[in-house]
Amino acid sequence: MKDQGHYIASPAAPGDYVVGAGEKLDLFYFVHPGEDRDIRVRVHLTGPGASVSLAGVYLSGGSEKVSIHTEIYHEAQGCTSDQLFNGIASGSAAVSFYGRIVVAPGADRTEAYQVNHNIVLSDKAKVDTRPQLEIYADDVKCSHGATVGSLNADEEFYMRSRGIPQKEAKVLQMISFVAPVLERIADPGERERTAAEVEEAIRKML
Amino acid sequence: MANDILLKIDNLHARIGDREILKGVSLEIKRGEIHAVMGPNGAGKSTLSSVLTGKPAYEVTEGSVLFDGRDLLAMKPEERAWAGLFMSFQYPVEIPGVSITNFMKTAVNAKREAAGLEPLKGGEFLKLMREKMEMVRMKSEFAKREVNVGFSGGEKKRNEIFQMAMLDPSLAILDETDSGLDVDALKIVADGVNAMHTPEKSAIIITHYQKLLEYVVPDVVHVLKDGRIVATGDRSIVDIIENEGFDKF
Repeated sequence: MKDQGHYIASPAAPGDYVVGAGEKLDLFYFVHPGEDRDIRVRVHLTGPGASVSLAGVYLSGGSEKVSIHTEIYHEAQGCTSDQLFNGIASGSAAVSFYGRIVVAPGADRTEAYQVNHNIVLSDKAKVDTRPQLEIYADDVKCSHGATVGSLNADEEFYMRSRGIPQKEAKVLQMISFVAPVLERIADPGERERTAAEVEEAIRKML
Repeated sequence: MANDILLKIDNLHARIGDREILKGVSLEIKRGEIHAVMGPNGAGKSTLSSVLTGKPAYEVTEGSVLFDGRDLLAMKPEERAWAGLFMSFQYPVEIPGVSITNFMKTAVNAKREAAGLEPLKGGEFLKLMREKMEMVRMKSEFAKREVNVGFSGGEKKRNEIFQMAMLDPSLAILDETDSGLDVDALKIVADGVNAMHTPEKSAIIITHYQKLLEYVVPDVVHVLKDGRIVATGDRSIVDIIENEGFDKF
């Protein structure tokens, strides 16, 4: 599993991954509008220097049910995990993000980062985000950040005052919101294809 | 000739929440004229520019505004831009993740589409960008930066003037564009405004200093105080304010 990059459009079963010494796992998820998804991914970092990057975008604008459940187990020294999930919910979509990070005793010099940002466009859409950190080692760098917000009205007015139509202003805001996640896709061709799909999906949501 | 009049504000009343801020503003701007609207803090200057550009949260309770013969208040903010209105913001907004190039391309082409024109070709657009960036002395990497993110005060104001030059409005409203600028930045802004000024184009300079008006000479000066225009005259009003403040009015 050395330097393995995965693009997982629809994993059928819960994903269980073991990442050994010096290995790198890279997973990217894209939940399209209209899709119900139950993503469960468990990653065990078992050897020194193992690392994992999990990234995902969800664009849920109807009555979708989306659940993202990640568990990262830091079981060796000097391992890194980096998670970034950004999503937009509207309509009556229900999205939940649960991210658990466990740093085992002795897994010193662990670096574990987790970010989950959400934009909610309608009153009926629901987003629930729950980070959970369990740290049993010393000398650990861990951070997590979760936000649920709406599109910035001042930005929208500024753009409209320059002649950018309201819908287009929202599209630009939504694209820029998910852009940091797309930057996680290593392959330029794949990144470009995904960016195009994301833009199309965003336009469908408005 | 009615056709000479670009903007006609008649008895404009506006409020935010239940606080009335504009209490019957009337003024007329002819094509080619530069007007200054001066007044102390809290006079309603920014409310006037916000109402003219269609900022939500401001409610017009009475009066009318005709822009180029059209009912300005019935138009959406973007339609006002397409019709030739531009405001340089007092506090330009940061838009993380959106590059200046992408922002301007979307804005310029939306305006062209509204006028029934084809979008600019990539090369034409970049040439226009370079030309206008040079005018406000922005370096080439400016095009790639995110809109106003991490800009200094002076860079933000120069970016406003750059956008004005890109969109080529018939009426530019400069809302406190001079505040917080050093002399060099002020000159760049003034040169930009003067370069844009033709016999068909007008500007409203909203300010409470006389600084910018040394470089951009207004044809007409209005004093706005407590939501009303209390004096209108020529440039000599600026000197009266300079020497005696707004208490005189």
